[in-house]
Amino acid sequence: MKATKLLVVMIVFTLLFTACQTSTAPTDSSTDAAVEGTPEVCATDAFGCAVFEAGDVVKIGMGAPMTGGDASYGIDISQGGMIAVQDFGELNGFKFTLVAEDDGGTAEGGAAVANKFASDPAVVAVAGHIYSGATSAAIPVYEKAGIPLLSPSASLPALTTLGSAVFNRIVFTDARQGPPAAEYLFNKLGKRKLAALHDGSDYGKGLAEAVAARFVELGGEVVITEAITKGETDYTPILSAVAAKGPDALYFGGYTAEGAVVVNQMKQTGLEDVVFFGCDGTYGADFLARTGANGENAFATIAPIPEESAEKAAFDAAYLEQFGKEAGSLSPYTWNGYDSTAGLISAVKSIAVLGTDGNLYIPRGALVTAVRTLTDYKGVGGTYTCDATGECNTLPPMFVVVKDGAWVPAD
Amino acid sequence: MINFAHGEVMMLGAYSGFFVFEAFKAIKVSTEPVLTFSNAYPVLAVLIAFLVGMTVSALAGYSLERIAYRPLRKAPRLVPLIGAIGASIFLQNAAQLLFSPQLRDVTNPEILARGTGWSIMVNGSKVILPYTGVFTFVLSLILLAGLYLVVQKTRLGRSMRAVALDKKTASLMGIDVDKTISLTFLISGALAGAAGVMWGIHNGLVYYFVGFIPGIKAFTAAVLGGIGNLPGAMLGGLFLGLIESLGPAALGIDFQLKDVIAFALLIIVLIFRPSGLLGERLAEEKL
Repeated sequence: MKATKLLVVMIVFTLLFTACQTSTAPTDSSTDAAVEGTPEVCATDAFGCAVFEAGDVVKIGMGAPMTGGDASYGIDISQGGMIAVQDFGELNGFKFTLVAEDDGGTAEGGAAVANKFASDPAVVAVAGHIYSGATSAAIPVYEKAGIPLLSPSASLPALTTLGSAVFNRIVFTDARQGPPAAEYLFNKLGKRKLAALHDGSDYGKGLAEAVAARFVELGGEVVITEAITKGETDYTPILSAVAAKGPDALYFGGYTAEGAVVVNQMKQTGLEDVVFFGCDGTYGADFLARTGANGENAFATIAPIPEESAEKAAFDAAYLEQFGKEAGSLSPYTWNGYDSTAGLISAVKSIAVLGTDGNLYIPRGALVTAVRTLTDYKGVGGTYTCDATGECNTLPPMFVVVKDGAWVPAD
Repeated sequence: MINFAHGEVMMLGAYSGFFVFEAFKAIKVSTEPVLTFSNAYPVLAVLIAFLVGMTVSALAGYSLERIAYRPLRKAPRLVPLIGAIGASIFLQNAAQLLFSPQLRDVTNPEILARGTGWSIMVNGSKVILPYTGVFTFVLSLILLAGLYLVVQKTRLGRSMRAVALDKKTASLMGIDVDKTISLTFLISGALAGAAGVMWGIHNGLVYYFVGFIPGIKAFTAAVLGGIGNLPGAMLGGLFLGLIESLGPAALGIDFQLKDVIAFALLIIVLIFRPSGLLGERLAEEKL
């Protein structure tokens, strides 16, 4: 047995030794201030520099649900980002690339992906995460690593109140998505009795509560607020309970995976005359495919579709050609995916330093500031200026409705 | 040992049912008006879906037994359990890779459309008794009756009960233990397949993870009704479903807590009546 013990000890030591080996990938040069060619800014930067040698690739990360019921969102937005990298991703011979990792849209996944990106020295910024739940778990990790974020879609209001220096977003907050929906329901549609349903996630719950609060302020009545369990296939018990309260509108805060099931089961639980009002999480081709005729006259609030311009036309054409789908059909954030990735790349280009030794130096602290101070960045979806808390977009949401099996702007 | 991969066998049956209905949706019997095979011959379509689903799942159950469980029959109790969990994870991920993680919607024949049913008035409000719900219930009862007859009245059933009671003595009595266990897994696989197709017809949602929760709930229902007791398992399932649906509304609590109620009930039943509601009945009573 002595030989076995010796073998085990040797294996453990070998593992420890290889784990502690320095890799040949780009390294943080915060301790190598005295090396020839390293710019001074790297020595004074709070997080040091990311160093890229000739042939290395600069990575922009993205955490999104790439598998499972919400995969269409992650895939769609990452594809928008990929086109941005193609359009702008080149600096002095150094190429950029988008690395999209699957975080499942959950907090656990978000933290795992954040740790993965933080331990990869080639990742300088993250265009994400896509889901608010994943983002809130990921922000502390990026805060410590000095990696700035520019999210195309994480709309939870609390994210910019955490005092984070790295989190920024170009999407509206749910504080701006919820109340307009309540106003539309009350004023435009004339509904007075609202049932507020959500899927228990930070995002869904925040939205449903914001809508309910505003609806009550306007003078309406919220007859029931309930949470459904994510991932189930049968919501008839809870819908029957909702039907018993006699609402004339049902607001749902959550994603298509559950929203489609709710819509399909509203008819058999006595809610067929009740208007279904969703959010940006229930918009997309997926919703249409899964609800079919049941989805007729369902509403949603989404990020406003960008105005027509030469850049948008070019993007739409490129998206259709490469991915075979209309831009904006899978999720409303395709253009935001493009803009956030392109915005990050432009911030990187503004502070990157080409050393005399031919290496590219990207000071991380300076990058965090550059993204936070993004001013008048002209993207496909609008012009963005980030304020001190990280909100970069002031455009309100737009309303859409399903008519004849397609999403059209609601009047 | 508990077959934790039984939910995945059901998932494979559900996928088979989905693919059969997709195929029948694509075959057009006539073009004016457009009639798909499913709508033209609904009974036949449903029958074929069930046959295919049950066959696929039966084979899956049989392979599971031969590959994952038989080699571990002599191992200590924990090992086949872990093997079953491993088989479950393997099947889930294999399904995810083969069939993509996309959620699939099953298209029923028109007469069995989801959400349609008999309208009855209860307390002044309209309640719909869905066709698919009644279909599932009736079919489950028929399958249960069939299984009960097989286990209690046939020679194969007697062999099953004997092997369950005491493997060594059963083999001494001339029973082919391997064949009996394989046939048991074939039958249980077929029933899981039927459940999978019923799931697809009634709930409409099929994806790689769909077998996980039903697998756990099936185990819970079996324990609730009494392990080894077939009518008990059915009763346990019914009981569990009713508690989950009516519990939160009756108790006036959050619907998200319905699983909490169900499993709390399981704990209470196990504490006060560990052999389940109808009691354990392996083979000692009847011969």
